[in-house]
Order: sequence, then structure tokens, then C-alpha cells
Amino acid sequence: MGIELAQSENGRLGRIISVSNLRVDIFLEHTDLGIRDMVYTDTDFGRVLFEVAEINGYVASAICFGLTNGLKRGMDIYKADGGISIAYDDSILGHVFNSYGHTIDNTEMGQVPTRNIYDKSLAMNEIIIDGDILWTGIKVLDFFAPMRKGFKMGLLGGAGVGKTVLIKELIHNVYQGLQSNSVFVGVGERSREGRDLYDEMKEADLLDKIAMAFGQMGDNAMSRSRAMYSGLTLAEYLRDEKKQDVLLFIDNIYRMVQANAEISSELAHMPIDNGYSPALLTEISEVEERINSTEDGSITSFQAIFIPADDLTDTAVHSISQHLDGQVVLDRKVAEKGLYPAINVFATNSKIIDPEIIGQRHFQLVEAALRCLSRYEELEQIVAVLGIDELSEDDRNTFFRARRLRNYFSQPMYVAEQYTGINGEFVEIGDVLDDVSAILSGECDDEDESSFAYIGAFMKYQRR
Amino acid sequence: MNHAINTVDSVLSEKISAIKSGLNVYSTGSVRLVREYIVEATGLENVSYFEKVIIGEGSEGYVDAIRQDCILIALTRIKGKLQVGDKVVSTGEEFTANYSSQSVGHIVNMFGEDCLAGKTMENLLNVKVETEAIPIMDRISVTRPLLTGITGIDLIYPIGRGQRQLIIGDKKTGKTQIALDTIYNQRDQEILCIYVAIGKTKKEVKDIYNQLLRRGAMEYTIILAAFNDDPAPVLRNTPYAALAMARTHLEQSEDVLVVIDDLKRHADVCREIALLMGKTPGRDAYPPDIFYAHSRVLEMGCQHKNGGSITILPICETRGGDITDYISTNIISITDGQIVLSAKSFEKGQKPAINYGLSVSRLGGAVQEAAMKRTGPPIRRELLAYLEQREIFELANIDEMGESMKRSMIRGARILDMLKQHKYAIRTSKESLTMVQNLDRGE
Repeated sequence: MGIELAQSENGRLGRIISVSNLRVDIFLEHTDLGIRDMVYTDTDFGRVLFEVAEINGYVASAICFGLTNGLKRGMDIYKADGGISIAYDDSILGHVFNSYGHTIDNTEMGQVPTRNIYDKSLAMNEIIIDGDILWTGIKVLDFFAPMRKGFKMGLLGGAGVGKTVLIKELIHNVYQGLQSNSVFVGVGERSREGRDLYDEMKEADLLDKIAMAFGQMGDNAMSRSRAMYSGLTLAEYLRDEKKQDVLLFIDNIYRMVQANAEISSELAHMPIDNGYSPALLTEISEVEERINSTEDGSITSFQAIFIPADDLTDTAVHSISQHLDGQVVLDRKVAEKGLYPAINVFATNSKIIDPEIIGQRHFQLVEAALRCLSRYEELEQIVAVLGIDELSEDDRNTFFRARRLRNYFSQPMYVAEQYTGINGEFVEIGDVLDDVSAILSGECDDEDESSFAYIGAFMKYQRR
Repeated sequence: MNHAINTVDSVLSEKISAIKSGLNVYSTGSVRLVREYIVEATGLENVSYFEKVIIGEGSEGYVDAIRQDCILIALTRIKGKLQVGDKVVSTGEEFTANYSSQSVGHIVNMFGEDCLAGKTMENLLNVKVETEAIPIMDRISVTRPLLTGITGIDLIYPIGRGQRQLIIGDKKTGKTQIALDTIYNQRDQEILCIYVAIGKTKKEVKDIYNQLLRRGAMEYTIILAAFNDDPAPVLRNTPYAALAMARTHLEQSEDVLVVIDDLKRHADVCREIALLMGKTPGRDAYPPDIFYAHSRVLEMGCQHKNGGSITILPICETRGGDITDYISTNIISITDGQIVLSAKSFEKGQKPAINYGLSVSRLGGAVQEAAMKRTGPPIRRELLAYLEQREIFELANIDEMGESMKRSMIRGARILDMLKQHKYAIRTSKESLTMVQNLDRGE
């Protein structure tokens, strides 16, 4: 499925002249070949597929879809028709694909139309940029980083600070709430999580509304990189042909860049800093420009972004975040305190934090909350040295209100019930604004700070 | 461009003339360059990638790259002196590990040799070092607990069968001990334990062997060792071999626990080989595929739908308590959680020296029995709140604190004290739960 191979009577394309763990070089017998074309060789252990990456006169370099073990010089290479393509019709919903367009959920697709996964991006006049605000029910997100339809929201975080939990909570709240069709792209992440997601969707009876593409971390670089393109093609089908508002969840787009660095290194390209591919910006732009909204439909994307070595200035992270409309940054220092979602509110932002869009009240509360929390950071250092008693009355108020606020922005999440033992909550933005306003104004000064941690709405809950 | 074509042309015509004159150009070659444990050889026209080859007086290696005019061989066994012009013979077989099911109770290497007895095991099977990943749809959720016998782990950051849980910390913080406690706690559990030593000294491995032997834990344990002074390609391949061996048991629906000690050393070995082979360095000079080098090992850990499982406890050494360096964050982002050990706690006598703030279990209560699941999360929240308060209010006088804060400070200190545990002093879940119940007694 997805790959139609030319008959061998079309003649041999060439022969292998070198092999490494990801790449073969082919001595060509004819040059009717372009990059991203697919070629193959038949061996004792089955057919091995490659994608052409570079052509230099009569020598082509191609990247292997799987293991190169057992390949040798002199093996015959044939050209396959077309490049990598994936199913392009209604039957994609409910199916799980690998990066090369094959289903991996033990189902057969039959004969369906397919499309090449590299088909090009939208023209500027097709792109629409306005959309309605989309509430996620996660307090800290809706408050500091509200988003709207057609948005690109980045979820940035180092290792093990909760990116995947957050993206799963978003799937739970936004996808299950909106009931629109979605695409999940698993790039270089854990296979176990892929399987768990599939089971959860099935249990929630949502499988028929989602299409998934996986190139997970146990797969080679080619697979991890191309999962992104395959997943995008699925989302584009829903947008362009079905004319729908699509939710696109990507976990994790950094892994595509990482996989490209591995491929680039195999091709002996000169690397940029930290070993990334020299074409890093080109590769990211190629993908990101395809994630856009048109008159037909919108693609709202949530993109998890891994931060290597906790380094926010990393070239890849920085380059991806240039494309985002908003970002949520997860921080190890917050996670360490047991406050989840572990969000660093200062690095978190959204393009629609603008009084004209979210309203004057919300806007001013965000500013006031940030002021209070940033003062707290300063006071924390003073308190560590001098003790709390040395603070002025005003500062002491700020100190304790900030701690309440900080606890308030933790939240019991549906998908984290197994860690917290507390039932998840979807919190309305109106309640969040009331609560933040009450905490900042001192209305809650008599309450113990621990009563703000892991709750839903506070004032509403009290009045009840 | 022209140059490339010329090279190819000349190679092809040389080959054709050689075949015409009836020479055997296929199965032999000769050494052209020797660099540490990397050998460049010419000839061997018909050799395949990752094939086993024999060089000179019985040195062995595998084909790590086939280039247009030569092949690169990584040596796995060095016998005698290697010289330019030495004969290289291809074997026609893929480079594999050897495994005997009789290895239990022994220290073996990836070639099935008993390191203490100095002889090869019997009934050896060839096990492919590199295999395709376990398909997503062959996995099922991780739900069965794997108890370590350590309260701080079983209660707060539990491990399940099929989970990959990293143990990370500085030198001398008790990383290996946590793994050994866990192995010891698997007696009567019908689970095969494989302790994989990467780049440890012979002395260290023998010590671990003796400790396990004395407690009867070698009866269900294999120590798979790649020593400090083994050729780097052996160190590089041993973790893959270990998981390939574990996979043979997984396919029989059995449970396996694999400890890999440690992956930081493994990363350094991969870097060494990559640089000697002339590959472009990436961040911190590691090869750009270092993430994949680890992810494909650890992705072998799973709960299989056939009922078997592979649980992996990789160990990673840090420097200066920094778990945010490149290799550490890579591994953290692969595993299902991490147990962070802190030198400061260790020095203060808080053993096991777990940093409860930085440790994580991504599976949490899903792998705990009901009672542990009820008790664990609130204890964890109390403990974390206490640890943070203790830091901020370090200078405050406890007598002047509000009632509720005072209570939580006292209780927090008790929880921390309860979590202290000596090595091999393992506890059952029931014992841990009783200790939690007794927290507020004896004031």
C-alpha cells in the first residue's frame, strides 16, 4: 500500500558501490532520477527501500528506510514509481500509519487514492489568519497563553518535565470537546505512548475521528524524519478535501530536526553548531509553511518541542519557535516543586495577549500576575538570606499572594489521574479571571496556600 | 565529479579483469591502515555490511562501512599484532552475539564466554545484534508492578514490568546499589535478571558477582560484561546484544529485567569510535545519532501482548549533580521516568540518596497495587511541599510558625526519615504501608 513499484523490466537503475549504516551510494547506469525518488534492491532477506538524497553525476546517494545490514557492493538497484506516498481519502480516519504510508495497525486499506508526502506548500493568497479563540480548560494556558483556531502552539520543555502529559491533556480537552477530526503525528517519541494513545482513543470511542502517523524513537532516522511529512499529508487531506477545521498534534517536532541531522551527517554535509544539518532552517520552514489555514478549513497545531540539554537557545528550538503563534515553556525548576503543569510563566506567551482580542480585564490581570510573580522571584532570594520577617508589609503580602497564585496555576489533569490520584478538571476562563483577581487583591489572604494547589476553580468552589 | 567516476571506473575495470583472470577477489582482502581498533582493508569485494571478518592471526571484527575503494572494520577481538598487508577473510555471516541459556549464574561476555572459568559456554545460539524495533501494535500498557523493595521507589516513583526507569546521579551516590537491591528483590519472582556491565573494571564486576552470589541472587541472574579493556566496538555492541538476548526470552512470554551500567560510558565509547572513523561530530563531539544509539536499546523495553516483558534500568553517571547535560537529557527523554540520586543527600546519610523533587515516574499509579496507589501520591505531595518549605524557611523558627505549617514540617521530616533504608534491607509493600500508617505515632 502507498508504494507502487516499477516492474523490473524497466531495467536496472544501477548498482551499490558503498554502504554505511544509513546510506548507500549507487553507480547509475542511467540518470533518469531525481532527489526524493524511491529506489529499491531485492535481497535474500527481502526488499530494501531507499530514498535518493543526492545525485552527483553517475553516483547517487540514497538513505535506507530500515537497516542496511547484509547489503553489499554490486547489488542491483531499481527505481520505484513515485516517491513516498500515503492514502489520501476518507479511509485514513481510524488508521495508524508508519512514515512510509503503510498501515501498522494490522489492517488493510485496499486500493485507495494516494498522494506524495512532499507535495508543496500553500500560496500566500490561500492563507487565512483570523480565527475564534479556543479555550483549553487548562488554567495556566488559557490565562497566559490563550490560543485560537489556526494557531500554532509550541509546548517547549526539557526532558521529563511533562510535555507529553500536557499534549495528552490537550487532546482530551480540546479534541474530545470539539469533536472535530484530528491527526496525531508521533515523531521520535516512545512507542509505548503511541500504543497507549491508540488504546485511549479506542476506549473513548474517538478512533474514527483521528488518523495517526508514527515514526518512533526505535526507528531509524529516515522513518523519524518522514513521519512528519506523512502526518501533514493526512491533515491536509482533512483540510483541503473534507474542508474541515483540523487539530494537529505533533509529539515531537524537534525529533524531526534531530533525525535530519543524522541523515545530513551520513551525507557528510558540513554541520552547523551542535551537529545540526546546514539546511535546518529550510527543512523547518518546508514543514511549518504547510501547517496553515485556508478558506476551506483550518489546521490548529500543538507542537511539542524537546529542549536538548535544557538549552532554550539551542538553534533548532529557536528556529522552530520562530514559526509559532504562541508558546508554553515547561521548566524543571517548577516541576521540582511538584507543581504541574510545570510552566515557566515568564517564557510563556501568545500573540493574542492583546486587549483587543482577549479583552481589557484579562489583559490587565495577566500583567498584574506577571508583576506579582516576578517580584516573588526577587523576594525569594531575600527571604532565603534574611528570613521572611525582614520584608515590608507590602512585600510580605506580595510574597504570600504569589505563592497562592503559583499553587493555583497547578491543576489536576484528566490524563494525570494516575500520578495525582485526583480527578481532572476543565476550568472556564471566567472562573480563572475571577480567582486570579481575588488572589491578587488580597481577598483570599486568610486562606492557607496549600488549599490552592491542585484544584479547579477556587471562588466558585468556596461559594458552593 | 570526474574523480568519482574515474575511481568507480577503475574499481570496476580492476574487478572485471581480476574476475577474468580467475582470481578470488571476493572473500579475501588485505589490511591497508590500522588505527587503534579500526582497520581499513582493500579487496573483499563481496563483503556485506555488518559481516564478520577475520584478520591476521585470528583477530575478529565486523564491517562498519563499505566504501568505494576500501572497507572499514571495527575489531572485536585483537590477537597478536596487526600489520599492514595482513590478510582479511570474510566469513559470509553477519556479526552476531552468542548466547547460551545456561549462562544464568555466570559472568559472560557477548560471545558467550564464561569470564570466570575462561571457557566458552555450551549450546550457544547466534543472536542478531541489530534488530528491527518491536512494533507499536505488539505492545500493551505497562500495568504489572516490579517491586524494588525500596520504599522511596515502590511507593513514590513506582516501576512496572516493561518500564524503562533511569537511575542517574554522580559517582558514589549508590546508583548501582539501587539496581542490585532490585535484582535481590526479584527472588521468587520468576523473572530473569541480566546485569550488563559496560566499561566496568574486572574488580568491580567480580565484587558485584560476589555480592549477588552471597545472597543467592545469581541463581536467576546473568552478568553480561564488557570490561574496561575490551575493544571499544565490544563495549559499543554489548547493550544491543543484551537486549537481543532478553528478546529471545520475551518471545517465550517471559519477564526479564535488564540493568545497563552505564549508558554515559556507552555514549563515550560511541563517540570514540565515531571520531576515529572520521564521522562529523555533533554537540559535545558526540556523533549526531547518539540519541538513536540509546533510543533503540531502550525501546526494546516493553510489555508485550504475549504476556512477556522487558524492564530496563539504565544507569547514567553525571558530573557535579548536573542532570541537564546532553547525554543525560537524551536518556531522560527516552525513559519512562528517572530516579535522581544526589551527592548532598548521600553525604547527609539520607540513603538511598534519592532527590525526590527531580525524580519522575511517567507511569505512576498505573503500575501500583491499589493500596500503594492510594497512599503514594499524597505522601509524594506532602514530601515535595516539605522539601520546598524547608529550603525557603530555613532561617525561620519552627516554634513561631502557624499550626498547619508546623505540622507539615514535622510530618515531612518524618516521611523523609521513613524513606531511609540500608542496602539489601528490602521491604515488602505491606511493610512500607505499615511504616506510613505509623508515621503519626510515637510523638
